[in-house]
Amino acid sequence: MSALLELRNVNKDYRIGGFFDSSTLHAVKNVSFTLDDSKPEIFTIVGESGSGKTTTARMILGNETPTSGSLRFMGQSITAIRSRAGKLKFMSKAQPIFQNPFEAFNPLSTIDYFLFSTARRFLGLRDKAAIDAATDKALHHVGLSLAEVRGRYSHELSGGQLQRIAVARALIPEPKLIVADEPVSMVDASLRMSIVNLFRDLRDRLGVSIIYITHDLSTAYYISDRVIIMYKGDVVESGVAQEVLGNPQHAYSKALSQAVLPPDPEAARKIIMAKIA
Amino acid sequence: MDGFAKYLGRRLFQFFLVIFLGVSLAFLITNLSPVDPVEQSVALMTNFGATDPRSVELMRQALQELYGLQGSMLDQYLAFWGRVIRGDFGPSLSAFPTPVMSLIMSALPWTIGLLTLSLVITWTLGNLLGALAGYYRSNLLLKLSGAAVMALHPVPAYIIGLCLLLAFGFIWPILPISGGAQMNLQPGLTLDYLRSLIVHGTLPALTLVLVGLGSWFISMRSLVSNIVTDDHVVYAELGGVSSNKIFSQYVARNALLPQLTGLALSLGNVFGGAVITEFLFNYPGVGRLMIQGIYRGDYALVLGVTTISIIAVAVAVFIIDLIYPLIDPRVRLS
Repeated sequence: MSALLELRNVNKDYRIGGFFDSSTLHAVKNVSFTLDDSKPEIFTIVGESGSGKTTTARMILGNETPTSGSLRFMGQSITAIRSRAGKLKFMSKAQPIFQNPFEAFNPLSTIDYFLFSTARRFLGLRDKAAIDAATDKALHHVGLSLAEVRGRYSHELSGGQLQRIAVARALIPEPKLIVADEPVSMVDASLRMSIVNLFRDLRDRLGVSIIYITHDLSTAYYISDRVIIMYKGDVVESGVAQEVLGNPQHAYSKALSQAVLPPDPEAARKIIMAKIA
Repeated sequence: MDGFAKYLGRRLFQFFLVIFLGVSLAFLITNLSPVDPVEQSVALMTNFGATDPRSVELMRQALQELYGLQGSMLDQYLAFWGRVIRGDFGPSLSAFPTPVMSLIMSALPWTIGLLTLSLVITWTLGNLLGALAGYYRSNLLLKLSGAAVMALHPVPAYIIGLCLLLAFGFIWPILPISGGAQMNLQPGLTLDYLRSLIVHGTLPALTLVLVGLGSWFISMRSLVSNIVTDDHVVYAELGGVSSNKIFSQYVARNALLPQLTGLALSLGNVFGGAVITEFLFNYPGVGRLMIQGIYRGDYALVLGVTTISIIAVAVAVFIIDLIYPLIDPRVRLS
């Protein structure tokens, strides 16, 4: 077995405050985990706002440099990637999906332009028909087609559609890893499951590993293979999703799982009334 | 095309509504002012000795007709609209009997030339510097120029103007400090005249640029720093899109949209003149004309300048509404 992604003792500090009264904020403390190359999985990072999960994601994508520790992707250090060619090569294997689908595409050009340029950039395609075919194939993976998207602007599509197109864009280079930072938090609740199911589908059919970052325990429980729970920069718990979320040990993860209301409305009402009283 | 016709119709309606309300308000305010142009004229003319009361009464009637002040307020209002459409605001009081319209027409070219040119310079420079400062946050040179622009921003026009006037008019007297061109030169397309125009316009234009730079700079910088954190920019950065392309295609292009609206509004405001700067440098533009009108109680002149600048702003907004769909696809269909 070889490692697809390996984080070892990763730390990230920020200096906050003014010139005279600055202090250090430890956004991420000693995070280590490894994703296996041969066994694609959905690896979930759970945590509240400010827990360091987005910073971790940005470091994996090479957008932030860690203060200390190492991040290796397919054996190569992510922080050592400097050149344009190196960036392209890395990104053709590791793709991001963002939280806000309405911000994911530059609103001034049609979306197909960005899909086409992704195909040109990462696959090195020059032929118009081949670019169309690669784009169409990726869109089919998310239940759309090029015919539906061609010539449309981002404001003409719904959030759910845009998020699926963002997934399709990530699929065009045929990546090994997708880093999805809160991909469903701004999507309508009724469409959330379609995106989450899509991730499972990608893992099973295309063999893509997914780092799924969320604060939503129910989808995390539903979909994850493994999970880590972060709290104020620390990993407070990690392991197989069902075990960690089914039987939380740390005080914070207990509080988290207690905050999830049971699906039965009567039981939920009882809990709420007890909290109010 | 149907959608565009609808859009055009709505904008056109808005255009006329704005002009109607603005001009009506200008009429109302000048009408409520205690200055009575007729009595002022009569007073001016009877200053030099006793005049027969009957001829004074006749004079009063003739003047009322000239200024459109006959009948009830409503009659006057309707007659005023008729005159606005004909472009006739009556004779000026302070420069009797020159028509207001010809006073304005001789001042407009000066104002338009000076203000348009300095606005274009200010807008381009402010947006460019602001966008660069918002995008390259750690660049020392941009930080310094940002600090300089911010320090200039709250200084009022009369201070900056006076400083320039002292610096280049007295301490190091290389530039003329008054007027629009050299008095004894024949206006025309001669090299001497053009040179004189430029030399005379430099200080007022510099004042306007220094005064206006800050607000464009600050707004552009904050617009850019918002867009830089947008996901599509982050994606482009991750994908190794060159920073020049990110700057021009992703960041600056998105941030420029609201600035274009601002530019059009400011272009409309050009017709009102730059009151303080023109007055300070004795520049023969609309702003100085307006101040003269106010000081001398020249009711017709003030109303004329106000009306023209209202119409100009409305036209500018209408034009930007028409070209906006070409630049922003989001306006095209919604």
